[in-house]
Amino acid sequence: MSSKLRVMALLLTALVAQVSILTEFRIQGSSVELMLVVAILAGFHGGPERGALVAFFAGLLQDSIMSAPLGLHALVFPPLAVAVSSLEQRMIRSTKLTDAVALLLAIACGMFMVAAVGLLFGLPPFDPALLLVKALTVAALTTAVAPPVNRAVRWAVLGGLPPEIRLRSATS
Amino acid sequence: MAAQRPADRPRPTLLILLAAALTLLTLQFRGLQPLDAFQHGVRDILEPVRTLSDRLTDPVQTAWNGIFGYENLRMENERLEVELARMRGNALTSEADTELLNRLLSEVDIDYSDFEAVVVRILGSPPGNFTDHLIEVDKGTDDGLEEGMAVVTGAGLVGRLEQVDRSRSLVQLATHPDFRVGVRLVTSQDEGLAKGTGTDGILRIESGVRLDAQVESDEVVVTSGGRSVFPADIPIGRVLDPDANADYRRSIIVELSADLENLSFLKVLIVDEPTGVDR
Repeated sequence: MSSKLRVMALLLTALVAQVSILTEFRIQGSSVELMLVVAILAGFHGGPERGALVAFFAGLLQDSIMSAPLGLHALVFPPLAVAVSSLEQRMIRSTKLTDAVALLLAIACGMFMVAAVGLLFGLPPFDPALLLVKALTVAALTTAVAPPVNRAVRWAVLGGLPPEIRLRSATS
Repeated sequence: MAAQRPADRPRPTLLILLAAALTLLTLQFRGLQPLDAFQHGVRDILEPVRTLSDRLTDPVQTAWNGIFGYENLRMENERLEVELARMRGNALTSEADTELLNRLLSEVDIDYSDFEAVVVRILGSPPGNFTDHLIEVDKGTDDGLEEGMAVVTGAGLVGRLEQVDRSRSLVQLATHPDFRVGVRLVTSQDEGLAKGTGTDGILRIESGVRLDAQVESDEVVVTSGGRSVFPADIPIGRVLDPDANADYRRSIIVELSADLENLSFLKVLIVDEPTGVDR
């Protein structure tokens, strides 16, 4: 299966899960942001360009099912994917814990970006304190479901290729 | 772990994608119909999947809400106990209340129940995390619903239809910060424009009512009709704070008569061409 088909399958599956099962289960009115985590992980695994493209289409699909204006999430997700990719390249050492914390922060950051850009494009204003609580709740929920999503995104954007081997010159 | 390959051109790609997103946003704000149709189409395609998911996950969802909504249920129980106590107290003065109610009803001349209406069932929150003060209902254009129609319960105005797909619709609750409704104060007969505050159960009248108008606490507020999208004389609520001491701009707080928290069924009023100034 080609990379484009894999990504398309991933995005459509994520979209269906987002509008069906994940919308049903909420904690304090917050639900998992599956398309956002797909965008972030696409940046992480796919690099800046591929990550931005996947993130754009994830955002566009997210916009198409919501009451938000078309293009809002598509505007926010690609820069986030590029930023995650850029940070990932600068990380010297990572563990599962640091990856999880980084993902949690990226999701919370994405929520704030959507709220801020949404304010310019027609979403109602949010109480900052409520937004903080909502962003952290959504981030925690989404991080909890991230491991299987991570494997799926990795398969979609890398196609099961082995991880790259980086050579670093040793300094004496 | 991804490394940046030589072929990666993140900056031009990112700029093109951002320009595309901004173009879409601009076109939609200019009212380009195909974009709206695209959104409606995608939602309509996914609707059977959502309905199936609703049915399959219903038992699990009930258990989930029992676990994670326990605190809300406890608070709701306390609220109902207080309400019950208040109603028992009210029963003691029922004769006086009945007389007052009859007087108010004759003043208001409520006839919104005479409108043709479609009963809709509440499905829950729509997808997404920025959907406060929006609820999804189970009927749409197939049942004759249109955007802008008034949504009521027996207690009064609840909101209006914000987005209507083939078999589902989105209701913008009266507390939504973007909600606007033309209102009339029953006793003083002053008219104004009320808006949602983002706070549960509260509307605010910020324009239209004269500074020297005699507005009393508990005064009944109804829709004004006329050029408004809503039919006239739908009960909205009662004045909580008349802001009688305002020097420059009056801001009257209104408590909604319909409880927006615990709704199961609503009525959508079918009126011709809902195109008012408060839309």
